[in-house]
This record gives sequence, structure tokens and C-alpha cells, in this order.
Amino acid sequence: MSGPEAAGDVPLIHRRYVIGLLLRLFVNFAGGVGILFVILYFALSRPLPGDYAGVFHALRNLSPFFRAILSVSVLLYALLACGSTSALCVYILHKVAGPLHRMDLILDQYRSGAHTRTVSFRHDDQLQPLAKTFNLWIGTLHRDRHRWLSTMMDAERHCLQDEATCRAEMEEALREVAGDMARYR
Amino acid sequence: MKAPSVPPPRPRIRYVNPRFQGPAVLAFAAIIVTGGAIFWKLVDREFQQVFLHAAIQGHYEFDSAYDIVRDLLAWHLASLFVGVFLTGSVLILLLVAATRHGIGKTVDSLRRSADGDLSTSTGTGFIGEFDRFGEKIDAARSDTLASVLKIRGDAAALAASGISPEEFRLRWDELKHRIRRIAP
Repeated sequence: MSGPEAAGDVPLIHRRYVIGLLLRLFVNFAGGVGILFVILYFALSRPLPGDYAGVFHALRNLSPFFRAILSVSVLLYALLACGSTSALCVYILHKVAGPLHRMDLILDQYRSGAHTRTVSFRHDDQLQPLAKTFNLWIGTLHRDRHRWLSTMMDAERHCLQDEATCRAEMEEALREVAGDMARYR
Repeated sequence: MKAPSVPPPRPRIRYVNPRFQGPAVLAFAAIIVTGGAIFWKLVDREFQQVFLHAAIQGHYEFDSAYDIVRDLLAWHLASLFVGVFLTGSVLILLLVAATRHGIGKTVDSLRRSADGDLSTSTGTGFIGEFDRFGEKIDAARSDTLASVLKIRGDAAALAASGISPEEFRLRWDELKHRIRRIAP
């Protein structure tokens, strides 16, 4: 057994997709930290008063002010980073979630007895081997069904002859079909 | 005049699957919030001490509070970024590994189905969405197997039955109809 990636040598998830995801995450978090830096920089870079006492009091009184600024900036960072990461998750992971949703619909269709077509995903979707192996299975079922029906219809042609030959050929066809179906377990 | 041809409707793209993307979003949010909380705690504690120390030191060789904490702030911001990014990267790699494992099992299961094995369970693993999907694949395989086995049994029984030609023909046609309904 060769694993899922042997289906046409197409990986389930491309390495480029993972690297792209990590790069976007890098930019996303770097942006978040950058915003946090900008807020703290502007809060802390105000010039201190010129005289000795003024600087002393400013530094002594900085603590409560700084805590409030720090809380707001960290909260803003968390909100922005969470928001942008959520958007990133939705945008990037839909290339996995989309094919799963599509397969869900196809499986519902299959189980309801509706006509089942071959599945194809968008070219930049991941999980391409899933569509290939599903099509392989459905294709095998279609071929087998066609062969069973052909066997039965071949037997029906003998009904143009006498009744006994017709019945014998039909029974032989049924045995052949039943034997062929035995590979399903 | 010939009417312009209407392109076939494209399948609707669904961007959000709450069962799959939702836990990922929550996990990332937990990483960011945890990182932010640790950053807040450390920076608050250390900066308070640094400002106090600078105030009582007496030699004010700086223009702003930022000059006092520049290096410390840079260090903490870098730590926050590296911590959150590395943890997020590990989460991404785990998610990819879980997807490869879960969907890989499904792919193996479908390949086995093409070889006629419709009964071995898919067993997709530990992510709920893949587990649900594997169960759905198993249900489709199970339906197909049940249908094939029923037809097989009926075909063998009909071949061995000594029933009247009229009855035989009726059951023969019914069997054909049921075969046509396999993977329609």
C-alpha cells in the first residue's frame, strides 16, 4: 500500500499551500505586533518635562497611565490579530473545507439515488486525490453495472429462440452476475 | 436571431464550514489571547520597576519614557511575535497532519471500495469533521454493499428457482431495474 498520495502522485495538501499559509500567518502576526509597537511608541515617546522635578514626577506618575495604555493596546492587538487570523482561516482553509462540502453534497446525492456524476474540484483546491479515488470507485461501479446489464441483455437475445434455451441462458446469466458480484464484500 | 448561449451555473462556493474552520479559529484566538496576556503581565511588571528605578536614579539622560524601555520593549515584542508565530505554526502543521491522516484514510477507503471492499471501516481519526465525513463515506459504501448483496442473493435464488416463466420474467425485469439503480 502506498498511501493516499500515490493516487496520480498528487499530494492531498501541497507543500506550497502550507508554506503560503505559514507566510500569511507570519505577516499577520508581524502586523499585529507592529500595531502594538506603534501604540506603545506613541504613548511612551512624549517628551518628559525639562526640569529635574518634572521628570521625577512624570516617571513616578507614569505607572497608572502606562497600565491603562498597555491594557488598551494589548486588547486592540488581540482583537485585530484574532480578527485577521479568523479571516485568514476562512480564506485559506476553504480550499480544504470547500472540497469537503462538495463531497458532502455528492454523497447526499449518491445516497438519495440521484444520478451521480464525476466529481471535480477547483484547480487550486486541496484534497484532489479524494475526487480521483471517488471517481475511480464510481467508475468501477458504473463499469460493473454495465457489464451485469450486458450479460442479462445478451441472455435475453436467446428468447428469440425457443423458450427452454431462453430460460437456460437467463439462468446462466443470473449465475454469472451473482458470481461477478461476489467480489463485493 | 440566435439567442446568446447561457453559461452553465457554476457550483456555489462555500467558504465557511464551522465544524472545520471554527475550531481552528478558536485555537488561534486562544494562542493570541494567551500570548497577549503573558505579554501584558510581563511588560506591566517589568516596566513599572524600570520606571521607578529610573525615577529614583536621578541621572535623567533620556528625552522620553520610550528611551528608557526601548530595548526591553523590543525584546518583549519580539518574544510575543516569536511565541505566537511558532505556536500558530505548530497548530497549522498539526492541522495539516490531521487533514492528511483523516482524508488519507478516506482516500484509502475509496480505493479499497474500487477493489470491491465495501465493508472495512474508514476510521478517519480524531478530528470531528473528518470523522463525520468518514462515516458518511462508510454509509454510502454500506448502502452500495447492501444493494449488491441483495441483488446477488436474489439473482442466485432466481437462477435456482423453478418458478413459472411469467413469474420468472417479472422477477428478471425487477432485478434489471434494481441493477440500473446501483450508482445511477
